[in-house]
Amino acid sequence: MPAILSLVRVVSLAPVALSAAALFAMMLLTFFDVILRSAFDSPIEAATELTRILMAVLVFSALPVVSGRAGHIAVDLTDPLFPPVLARVRDAVISLACGAMLWWPAERVVVLAERARDYGDVTEYLGIPQVYIAWFIAISTYATAVVLLARGVLLIAAPRLLEDPSHD
Amino acid sequence: MIEALIGFVAVLGLVLLRMPIAFAMGLVGMVGYMHLNSFRGAISMVGRLIIDTTQNYGLSVVPLFILMGLLVNKGGLSRELYHLSYAFLGHLRGGLAMATICACAGFSAICGSSLATAATMSKVAMPEMRKFGYDDSLSTASIAAGGTLGILIPPSVILVIYGLLTETSIGKLFIAGIIPGLIGVVFYLGAVWFTVARRPEAGPAGERMGWPERMRALGGVWAVLILFFLVIGGLYGALDVWPLHLTFSPTEAAGMGAAGAFLIAMARGGLGLGDIWEVLRETAFTTVTLFTVLIGAWVFSNFVNLAGLPEGLRALVTDYAVSPGMVMVLILLVYLALGCVFESLSMLLLTVPIFFPLVTSLGYDPVWFGIVVVVVTEISLITPPVGLNVFVLRGVVPDVTTGTIFRGVTPFWIADIFRLALLVLVPWLVLVLPNSM
Repeated sequence: MPAILSLVRVVSLAPVALSAAALFAMMLLTFFDVILRSAFDSPIEAATELTRILMAVLVFSALPVVSGRAGHIAVDLTDPLFPPVLARVRDAVISLACGAMLWWPAERVVVLAERARDYGDVTEYLGIPQVYIAWFIAISTYATAVVLLARGVLLIAAPRLLEDPSHD
Repeated sequence: MIEALIGFVAVLGLVLLRMPIAFAMGLVGMVGYMHLNSFRGAISMVGRLIIDTTQNYGLSVVPLFILMGLLVNKGGLSRELYHLSYAFLGHLRGGLAMATICACAGFSAICGSSLATAATMSKVAMPEMRKFGYDDSLSTASIAAGGTLGILIPPSVILVIYGLLTETSIGKLFIAGIIPGLIGVVFYLGAVWFTVARRPEAGPAGERMGWPERMRALGGVWAVLILFFLVIGGLYGALDVWPLHLTFSPTEAAGMGAAGAFLIAMARGGLGLGDIWEVLRETAFTTVTLFTVLIGAWVFSNFVNLAGLPEGLRALVTDYAVSPGMVMVLILLVYLALGCVFESLSMLLLTVPIFFPLVTSLGYDPVWFGIVVVVVTEISLITPPVGLNVFVLRGVVPDVTTGTIFRGVTPFWIADIFRLALLVLVPWLVLVLPNSM
């Protein structure tokens, strides 16, 4: 089991790298778009739609990873009131609830993606089919739900496994 | 309207049970929407928001400004800003704390986040103040308070989101933040002065530096100045001159700022591959948490609107003939109370969709309201029991107790209340710059 978890940790580097690359690309894209437009009067016309796609990649690649690390903003005001065991059960229930509530919206995103395929929706300049972007978002939403559910189960069944010595 | 109020209580309860804020708002919003509309309608609305929010071009300014702040930090500019402020103020009694405030203000001019400003400056300023025997309560408080300037002095991530939420000009909001930000600096300096006047041993004077040294320190911050003028100048068309006719939209300004910070950090040799990876990863993670909160808040605000809370509030105000001034006071009190539980972004997202229609229908200026909301939010960052900036400091200097920090923060908190009152009573201070554009 610990072997599987360390594998998960290594594998989770890939989406983070993709997210980081999207961010870096977004920065370069904006920079060159402004320079080309200002100095040579020839802007990158697809800059806006590319930025949109890069944003989706940036957020949805890293979303399952952030969720798995319990990295979402939460308030720890009541922590002193919960003894450790109770706190663990509470965190498990919360994590399961968060995972479960994402399931239906994820299904919905798939429906919307397929609708975009049927309508043949494409981006304005480059003609990139919207269905790919929507499917990417759907898969990430499902992955996030699975990660949160798994985290909830592990918190009850095997909390040791979630203690990450290298966690920063 | 009663549904919306139950919803608020439910969100509060879930948040206190440590459910992530984004999920608490999303869950309550989704369930409430189901109750008022239908299961299908609610799921549809959430699915649409998940797809659309991240592909909103205007929001791309958020990751880019965060990236810029982190890059600037890696480039070591925070140290030089502190050195400069120290060169001019260090010899005064309480001078190092004053220098901290000014360096925070300078850092705010290139960083859009209060927590980042506090975290960055605490690493630079805290060791110096300890070296000169400053009282822990004064040194930590000056950093926590100075850090709050991060979301007011442009660029500011919070103002961007307020602008997108209310369709108010982001350019105007940015420029409107400048004078209130400077007033904040002056009032905070007053708070330091007050503290050392009462207890001189809290902040002994440092060494006086000569003018040659001061000029050298000034030379160290050229990069900060260039970045600030690139971002803000480009945004206001001040760089629309030959040969580069630079005018930016907010997203472009953020992109140019990030790229500029990247080049500067590279040029100064302070950026290895490992650093770049770290900065990109941190920006990505922060962006994800902010966007999740955004989506959750939008789901919740759709529910609250469907439940008719904004109209309900407006009707209440008309029925009881409450004066606009009284309404504003009540709203500000709500913010101060919420600030005890919520962090700034969630608080803004939760409340602005409700209060904004009411406030504008009473004739208040949208830009002015944005600035006032941000100032109140800033106050919440240093208000007990949960002022987030205080906890950032606790993370960096674990040996100082929260109680000590809050004790030191009191004069700064009072200074903030004065500033808030001033901005509410004299809206001109906020509006003079944007209205002259």
